[in-house]
Amino acid sequence: MGNEVSAKQILSAAEDIVKDIADFGDSVNAEVRNHTGGRRKNPYVFIEVEASQWRELALWLKKSKQVDYCSMITGIHWPEKADAAWQVVVHLLRTGVSNPSVVDKRVHEIKVDIDALSGNSIPMEFEISMSIPDTREPSVPSVADIWVGADWNEKETWDLVGINFDGHVGMRRVLLPHDSPTGYHPLQKQHKLRYHDFNEMYDDPQGFGRKPEDSGRVK
Amino acid sequence: MAEMWISMGPQHPMTHGLWTLKVKVDGETVVDTEPDLGYIHRGVEKICEARDFTQITTYCDRLCYASANTWSHAYIYAAEDLLEVEVPERAEYIRMVAIELQRIASHLMWLGAYCPDVGNLTGMVWCLREREMMMDLLQELGGSRMHYNFPRVGGVKRDLPIGFALRCRAKLKLFLERIQEYEAILDESTIFLVRTQGVGYAKAEEMINHGVSGPNVRAAGHNYDVRWAHPYSVYDELDWEPSVERPSIKGSDCYDRYRVRVEEMRQSALMILDGLDKMPGGADTHYQSGDPAIIGKAPARAAEGQTGFHHFEDSRGESMFYLAGGGEERGKHPYRVSIRSPMFITIPYAAKCMIGYKIADIPAIMGSFDPCIGETDR
Repeated sequence: MGNEVSAKQILSAAEDIVKDIADFGDSVNAEVRNHTGGRRKNPYVFIEVEASQWRELALWLKKSKQVDYCSMITGIHWPEKADAAWQVVVHLLRTGVSNPSVVDKRVHEIKVDIDALSGNSIPMEFEISMSIPDTREPSVPSVADIWVGADWNEKETWDLVGINFDGHVGMRRVLLPHDSPTGYHPLQKQHKLRYHDFNEMYDDPQGFGRKPEDSGRVK
Repeated sequence: MAEMWISMGPQHPMTHGLWTLKVKVDGETVVDTEPDLGYIHRGVEKICEARDFTQITTYCDRLCYASANTWSHAYIYAAEDLLEVEVPERAEYIRMVAIELQRIASHLMWLGAYCPDVGNLTGMVWCLREREMMMDLLQELGGSRMHYNFPRVGGVKRDLPIGFALRCRAKLKLFLERIQEYEAILDESTIFLVRTQGVGYAKAEEMINHGVSGPNVRAAGHNYDVRWAHPYSVYDELDWEPSVERPSIKGSDCYDRYRVRVEEMRQSALMILDGLDKMPGGADTHYQSGDPAIIGKAPARAAEGQTGFHHFEDSRGESMFYLAGGGEERGKHPYRVSIRSPMFITIPYAAKCMIGYKIADIPAIMGSFDPCIGETDR
């Protein structure tokens, strides 16, 4: 009890970050948002950024705000939106983890005193969203050298969604077979699943009535 | 000496699943590694785009065959964030019981698999014996032994069965005593100590930068835990403290990672005992399924442009789901489901961690990170 970070701590730290991000100008929009489900509606920082500014922002977050952990990178394909056909969502965490200190040749493990957390040591969630206009070769800058944890996330995003990451070294298929056809990225929306957009699975559970929309097409 | 590449896997006792570790060796020493994943990629993220929010729970159960409940709950919290659902407090307590029982069962499965990895067959039998108690309790809750499909958007499928609290308390008290047996058999086994101590050093800051989290980081001397850093559920009302281990100057070795998981099982057991006492309405009460005390009202559709995500402390590290809603037009399916698997990120790091050690250390190092391929490949 009392050993969890309180919403008040998170809110004040989130507001500080949003205030500092204003220095970036109009191409970076940040706001404090709240989770909407469950018992606790914790605040988090939502940032909308242009792909060209992403690396600069990432470096700033790492250096000045001690954001040390890349949780997930998600690619989304929105074929109906011409000006934002591709979206990359990055989730970062500020964990505040540091190596335990050595005193008198003896390592002392760190047990965080939560009430004493302040400023950059308060854990924080970040959601960063980037939109890319409709193009056949979407790409955003890579951050795998800033957070190594982004490396395999970027590989997976390219593999499944087809969004490339400029500057990423060693891009390859990770979940699909190595000999998958070039340009085949199954989470793009032109690849339909059976029952996609239909409620007919209740009427025709075995799917005998129809074939998937991409049947006959070379995969 | 000449260097050469050898493949460990896809069928190999070290892998704990289907994947390949390509190892470049110079004599007996590992000089480079390259993990090769994706053998059991099922496309869960794509399948979920054609399922409604309740149906997805079943797929999330199957992400990890050793830790089904933590995965379905990780999803359900993200779905509740997307759909803006209020959860009754009693349901949160029941969920906490389910998650922590599953965490114990998962760690026992890990220890049961790790003991034979490092030459201790007795440990496996003992761990699976205690895991059976946890499976019985989870079966009472969810109705089946492995894939429970227990949480619902807004609450839980069923209330605690009558007499569950009594049996749960008795089994956990027995379990807390039996943990000492593992410590006795492992901490005093020379073979176990020789094979785990001083092997596979990893430092906390480096792990966080590589995206590794959970027990592996806590073993390296920092008690970071999503359950206190980004609190959810009722963890703020329970009496517990995150397990943490004192590593050596070089970082945490395989032995630290074993110690921290044993401590975590103990904390989980205490958490459940505490939660059963504090449960609103009492742990001996039984509400019918669908009662507003255990399940809240939830919309079936998410509004256009709405998103939800939730960081969750899985038994292997931080897992999360990101959901984008489809709006009225697309019906009640999510537009995009994205899954963050802790082991997908940890396996490449564990593979780097082996460089410089001998081939014989590979099973000990890999096993100590608790790989699970079901969630890795999705």
